[in-house]
Formats: sequence, C-alpha cells, structure tokens
Amino acid sequence: MTVNKAMLGRRYGPYRFAVGAEQIRDFTATICGGIPGRIYAHPPVDAHPWCWDEAAAAASPHGALVAPPGFATLFAIQPFSFACKDPELGLNVLRLLHNGQELELLGVVRAGDVLQTTGEITRLQERGPLDFVEVTTETINQRGELVVRGTWSAVVRN
Amino acid sequence: MTPPRFAVGDTFERVREVDLYRPIYYAAASGDFNPIHIDAAVARDAGYQGVILQGMCTFAWLADACSAYLGDPTCVRRVQARFTKPVQVGDVLTFRGRCTAIEGPLLRLELSATNQRGEEVLKGAAADATIPGSWA
Repeated sequence: MTVNKAMLGRRYGPYRFAVGAEQIRDFTATICGGIPGRIYAHPPVDAHPWCWDEAAAAASPHGALVAPPGFATLFAIQPFSFACKDPELGLNVLRLLHNGQELELLGVVRAGDVLQTTGEITRLQERGPLDFVEVTTETINQRGELVVRGTWSAVVRN
Repeated sequence: MTPPRFAVGDTFERVREVDLYRPIYYAAASGDFNPIHIDAAVARDAGYQGVILQGMCTFAWLADACSAYLGDPTCVRRVQARFTKPVQVGDVLTFRGRCTAIEGPLLRLELSATNQRGEEVLKGAAADATIPGSWA
C-alpha cells in the first residue's frame, strides 16, 4: 500500500488531556522500578520526589507534582496516533514502527494542568518498500502557554 | 540547597532492567496497549522474538537519566533519539550521557543506550537541559 501524499499538511486535534496526580505518580513508579496502581502497587525505587511525593512537590517551586520529561509522550502522542490509523492516510499499522522521537519541553507540566495538543503531518515519503511519516505536534496548557513541541517519526515496511 | 555543579566532560549512567511485567506496567501507565507489548504470539507474528518494550518507555528512561544527572525533573528541555533495535523482556539497558558543551544556562548532552550485549538500541540520542534554578 502506498501513502496518500495529499495528506501532507493534514492537521489533527486539538486533543484535550487533563493531567492527574495519580497519572504522574503511576508513570513515575513505572519508569523508576516500581509498580503503578493502587492495588498491587509498589513505590518507585529512585524517583525524584517532585514526581512522586505530593508533600515534597507542594513545597517545591512548582507547587504541585511535576511530570517527568517522558510523561509528555502520553498526551503529545495523540495527533501522531490518530494520523497513523487514519484510513485516509492508508498506512498498514501492523507494519508501522515508531522509529524516531524528538521532544522540546518548553514549560513545566503539573498535576491539574489541562492540555490541548494539535498536530500536522509534516513529512510523507516513499523509499522503495518503506513509507516514512512524520507528525509535528504542539501542546499548550490552560493558560495558552506552549509547553511541548514534538516530532514523531514512523516507518512502515510494506 | 547548594546548586549542583556541572562541567563539560561530566559523565553519567543509569541502568534499567526490562523485567517480565515492565511492558505491561508501562501499558497501564501510558495507555499504550499495542498487543506487541503484551502478547508474545502477536509479537512473534510481527517478526519479534517475543514482546517488545514500548519505545516511549526507553525514551522516558533516557530522559530520566538526564533528570537524575541534573537533580531536577523539570530541566530537560529537549530530547531526541532514533529507535534502532527492539528492546525485549530480560534486556538490561545502560543509559550513558556526557556533557559536551555549556552555553549560558544550557547544557548539551550526548546520550547512548546499550543492551547487555553492548548493542545500541538508540541512535542519535541527545538532550539539551537548563541548569537547575535557571528556569525563566
């Protein structure tokens, strides 16, 4: 299957994402050797307290739990996800590999923030049996501040 | 609190193990329930030897290694990587970083991630960070 080049420039979103304290804590537990959740859970082994301990976070300059940098992929991925499975684009999702990632973290993301992410297909290319797709995203918070810019790359082996 | 000191040539390292359930924990924490991260049969059909870890988990570990060096989870300002080799259950990843330049409040970091066989699982990994306390 070949990609529909007319989709270059197609925009997706905005997608809303309300950042929750438990969500930050679950993510932090997961990437720092713990187990997420509230039942069979285990705390992180080596997390920064601002990402885990609500009292420490409240006393920090940020006043609330802060998202570790990798957390941005949870909300900023949405335009990329929707683009990859957009039937108009015609990618074979089963053969799709997310093969590159860049995030610019322009502002602190805190528990309680309400974010909106929009994105655009910025590259569509065929090279032999491979299709390349790139989606560029921007995420703003409830004050309209740009907090994350992302570049998401995928390759499809046809 | 005394601000930490940073210098060109600093190196840092963080080791992360892909234990049996890590892809499932990451699925729960991230919402990425692609079956290639959960179901070995689906992963084998897709050409892998077994379930593979979400690339975004590796990416989060990469960024977290920088945060640990900086001592502040809000100071990584840019991070990039290409995913060149699948990460599987049982793998032990070593994330290494080196400060290659300091430009005003900005630290330039060159990064790598290798598995227990010394194979690179990322290429072109790099980050920029601000020195803690210098957020505008």
